Amino acid sequence: MNFVRRYLLPRLITYFLVIWVGITMIFFIPRFLPTDPVQQFINRLVAQGTYMDPKAIEEMTETLKELYGLKGSLWEQYINFWKRFLKGDFGPSYYQFPTPVIILIKQSLPWTAWLLLVTTLLSWIIGNILGGLAGYFSNRRWVKILDGIAMVIRPMPYYILALGLLILLAYIIPIFPIGGGFAIGMQFTFSWENLLILLKHAFLPALSLILIGVFIWFQAMKLVVQSVKSEDYVKYAKMGGIEEKRIVRRYVIRNAMLPQITGLALSLGQIFGGALITEIVFSYPGIGTLLYNAIFTGDYNLLMGVSTLSILLITTSILLIDLLYPLFDPRVRYR
Amino acid sequence: MKKFLVILFVVSMFSLFFAQQLPPGIPRNETFIADNLTGRAANPGNFNIWATWVWNDRGIQNLLLEPLWCVEYATGEIINALAAEPPKYNSDFTELTIKLRKGVYWSDGVPFTADDLIYTIELVKNTPGMGYNSQMQQVKEIVKVDDYTVVIKLNAPNSRFHTYFLDRWGALRPLPKHIFEKVEDPLTFDFNPPVGTGPYVLKGYDPGGYWTLWERREDWDRTPTGMLYGMPQPKYVLFITYGGPEKQVLAMAQHQLDAADLTLEALKAVLSRVKTARAWRRNFPWTVNIDPCVTGLHFNTAKEPFNNPEVRWALTLAIDIVEYAANAFDGAVTLSPIHIPLTTAYYNWYFTKLEDWLKNFELDLGNGEKFKPYDPTAGFRLAEYAKKRGYPVPDNPELIKRIFGPGWWKYAPDVAAKLLEKNGFYRDKDGKWHLPNGELWKITITTGTNPAHPGYRNAFAAAQAWKKFGIDVTVQTTDAAATLDQRGEFEVSTDWPAAEPWGGHPDLFRTLEPFHSKYIRPIGENAPWGNYARWSNPEMDKIIDEIQQTTWGDTKKLIELGVEGLKLLVKEMPTIPTFNYPGVIAWDEYYWTNYPGAENMYAQPYHHWPNFKYMLPFLKPTGRK
Repeated sequence: MNFVRRYLLPRLITYFLVIWVGITMIFFIPRFLPTDPVQQFINRLVAQGTYMDPKAIEEMTETLKELYGLKGSLWEQYINFWKRFLKGDFGPSYYQFPTPVIILIKQSLPWTAWLLLVTTLLSWIIGNILGGLAGYFSNRRWVKILDGIAMVIRPMPYYILALGLLILLAYIIPIFPIGGGFAIGMQFTFSWENLLILLKHAFLPALSLILIGVFIWFQAMKLVVQSVKSEDYVKYAKMGGIEEKRIVRRYVIRNAMLPQITGLALSLGQIFGGALITEIVFSYPGIGTLLYNAIFTGDYNLLMGVSTLSILLITTSILLIDLLYPLFDPRVRYR
Repeated sequence: MKKFLVILFVVSMFSLFFAQQLPPGIPRNETFIADNLTGRAANPGNFNIWATWVWNDRGIQNLLLEPLWCVEYATGEIINALAAEPPKYNSDFTELTIKLRKGVYWSDGVPFTADDLIYTIELVKNTPGMGYNSQMQQVKEIVKVDDYTVVIKLNAPNSRFHTYFLDRWGALRPLPKHIFEKVEDPLTFDFNPPVGTGPYVLKGYDPGGYWTLWERREDWDRTPTGMLYGMPQPKYVLFITYGGPEKQVLAMAQHQLDAADLTLEALKAVLSRVKTARAWRRNFPWTVNIDPCVTGLHFNTAKEPFNNPEVRWALTLAIDIVEYAANAFDGAVTLSPIHIPLTTAYYNWYFTKLEDWLKNFELDLGNGEKFKPYDPTAGFRLAEYAKKRGYPVPDNPELIKRIFGPGWWKYAPDVAAKLLEKNGFYRDKDGKWHLPNGELWKITITTGTNPAHPGYRNAFAAAQAWKKFGIDVTVQTTDAAATLDQRGEFEVSTDWPAAEPWGGHPDLFRTLEPFHSKYIRPIGENAPWGNYARWSNPEMDKIIDEIQQTTWGDTKKLIELGVEGLKLLVKEMPTIPTFNYPGVIAWDEYYWTNYPGAENMYAQPYHHWPNFKYMLPFLKPTGRK
């Protein structure tokens, strides 16, 4: 009972409060921007040559406001939004009207989710193992080599690294495709051959993310381990003649992992936001470009759909980590 | 198990190395690959363009569907596609008769008839949210005379009603009645697989939205394209989004892309790296200069001091157009001193008729002093600049006029100063201009955020010119530029200086109508497209009303009225036209030749335009495998 009252309840209250504030903010902020979704839609229609006389434009503006749910005061729109949201409905996308937002998200999310999930986990695992070892055995030669590589890759702008990989492995040595998520002209059905095609298309974007990711985790972990290994209890363990492998695994890495676990939770939560630059450089289908287009075209509903799910995912993963933390860190205990 | 994994790894690596770009059965030499101008489709399984607009350039408008009529701005003609002949109105423009082409079939084998057109109009009229819903409210009644003749009765006279069906880059194209009449909600219907009257059918599409593959119909001769121009040569057409210009350059370098719309810098990279690549013009300035848009600057005439035509003229004369074009596009543009682009057709219809008037047009500088601002040598000066940059420039003066423009306005900062001083402006000791009330004159130019766009480049070129003249200018780049323009929340902006004309017809109603005083809106309210400048004039109202009373077929009178409208715009200069939209297109002749280049202008050159299907019968395969 004490756990519920003193530990769980405050966290749950904060959790729902953050969600409410976040969603309220993403409802209001786009509406205060000068971008008008109705006008953006009409602009796209006429800018490319569709003939609309001025009178027709005025009539269409009214129709679209009605259809987009942009009539009425902000407060009315806000209430209507919550009514829809609680039923799991984000309304239609404006820039792909009248397709429901949820369909657009469903189409784009799996691409982003699997690419980012795999690369985030892989880079976290590899980066932490390498960083942990490098932090403990910091005087070894291989550590210095890894440090050198990290010094080159880590500060490199991601766009340049990604483009460099693309030019190297899709143009100079044309092993991988220039872009896209799946082979041109092929039917999208499940088979081993198609799985290989999917992997082939995901390889370069994944490689670019892993390269950067590994060295980010590597450097962070190395610093933490170096700090932990100078702690008294590590020195004491050494003096006590405990086997070095055990010291590294149980005493150093385990303790150094705590901030990394928090970092992983945050990274996983951010998956929903997509990897915009990756998707643009490798023309990889995903939620990033969808979100970018939503911002660019003033597509409030799509923006809200993606952001809301992102908020839910980030806050939920933080809540889960918060609840699970005592399992990892014996110093955190609820009374 | 271990062995199996090793074999699987080797096989997968093998496939990585030797996988073909196109799948078996789709030979590269029978496929035309074009980039998708509007990029990745967010909802790739949806082909219902009557309910949604975006991504119709991935083959939907340019291969699958035919319109009633289509503008061909390269030749200046209107193509009768699904219509058998031009539109016919009764004397008071309340009835429009449309004759349809016989022998056309939908791709699923159903004949195309008047019922399809009637159903399309009725469905669109009765379904809010469908494109052209508001326009179709003008329809009072539709009468089916026979299977190939339709009479549309209108609620009020409209001499331009047919233009809703006239394809430029969008039109109300007939939809298949036999498909849509079975649909419960036409707004949410995906129309997949799509059925069309165009020469291609859908072969496949990327669930990620990056490509759409089309196959030529077996019965291509039962489509308007086939009947008019013969068999489209590529058996397959692939629209693909490789991504930004750098990706398109890479794809072209690997002959994986036959046609692309690029930036000028990317075009130069393609031309230098790909021996078989070419642009619309084989030499400098490479760019398409028959695009039916003219670029330029807008003054907000609802704000001081831009409400004063003499101030607007002073700012025009403060521009050295050669330096301006060099800053904006390294001189690779065609200048236009009037509010329509210099296409071949418009050159003959308007530029030649206005040339003498432009030469004699005078500005009143006060104290009886007059100034003739037109500079017929501007195009030649631009050609000279290009020559100095080392680009090959023809010697033929007529050709120079066509390539670089017939002329523009003089660079006359001294005259600009006189005009400003006449209106109470003055210069301080540092050469900075002050407003009549003594404040330092600061101008903000509002533009979009795409550095490759002519609007963006116009903004910075203008800022440079006016700074040099002594005005404190800043450029505000924003994604909300279009909204700000429409609401009049700007001083100077870089949208099109006037609404685009048709390109293939001398009618300037579309260009001039937004300037009608009935559409003027105060700052803060949306102005109709084409008149963000919020300028109007009773004389222009009269011209517009008269054009509206003139039948589409009376081209002589339409040109006379159009000339008067253009003269008025020059006199008042509410917006400054600078140069044609420089279309930057690259083709690779590795697999296909006989593109409609500047030397062979049988069709418009863009693959994303609806008339792309009319270009395909003329392409020639090189035979390369």
